[in-house]
Amino acid sequence: MAQLTADLERHTSQYVEAFNAGDFAAVDKFYTTDAVAVWEPGKPLTGDARRAYQREFLASRPKMTATPRQVFVTGDTALMIVDWVIDGVDADGAPERLQGVGVDVLTLGEDGVWRYAIDDPYGQR
Amino acid sequence: MFSTVDFDPERPDLTADTETQNEIFIQVFNSGDGELFNRLYRDDSISNFSGEPLTGAARLAFFKEFLATEPTLEATVTHAYVAGDAALIGVDYRIETKGPDGAPLHLEGQCTDVLRRTADGRWLMAIDRPVATTGLVAD
Repeated sequence: MAQLTADLERHTSQYVEAFNAGDFAAVDKFYTTDAVAVWEPGKPLTGDARRAYQREFLASRPKMTATPRQVFVTGDTALMIVDWVIDGVDADGAPERLQGVGVDVLTLGEDGVWRYAIDDPYGQR
Repeated sequence: MFSTVDFDPERPDLTADTETQNEIFIQVFNSGDGELFNRLYRDDSISNFSGEPLTGAARLAFFKEFLATEPTLEATVTHAYVAGDAALIGVDYRIETKGPDGAPLHLEGQCTDVLRRTADGRWLMAIDRPVATTGLVAD
């Protein structure tokens, strides 16, 4: 259990590293092929729509910090509650700070790699 | 048992349909049968209903004790996302139960549920995480 939790916390820090490098291809590898992300509350995106949204978002080189608050892990499924802050720019190019408490579901692939199946950044009100 | 949705009590399937999940979950909770309620979970699933993450035999023991007094649950789905063989559901819940002294106790809050589709195609609870706004089971 402690080892799995450590693996997942490392997963988060590696994700943040890829995110802050603006590397969409690397970031996309952290998601399952049919992952759902909800960067705008009430508007889940999946597949190509998810990828297009994230590629565009990363293009402005936002910077994220993320601190796992709680991790629950079973044999093949994890729920992480994560405090996050993203400093970026708004549509007019003015500095903008986004923050929230994310609710992330990760699944363990047959290749032994954990990936985000559901990424709900504003999942905890 | 009063039933609004048909399901096999020996091999329950919460399905990928959010309202069906919620109906089955509520009616099994309200049945007071902790053993049946435990069948909505996989062996290694984690329930935080007690305030601690419980799995296996400890989870079953808690469910039996908690449901034996026949608390009643009402729950309203606030959001639901399905990604392949995983699902994330949010509900607002209200539970009427009794405290250790036998006095009525009202619990309410938001619960996050993670469901997985198992190898036999059934959907079951993998992780639940209630966060109380009143009463027990807080962050």
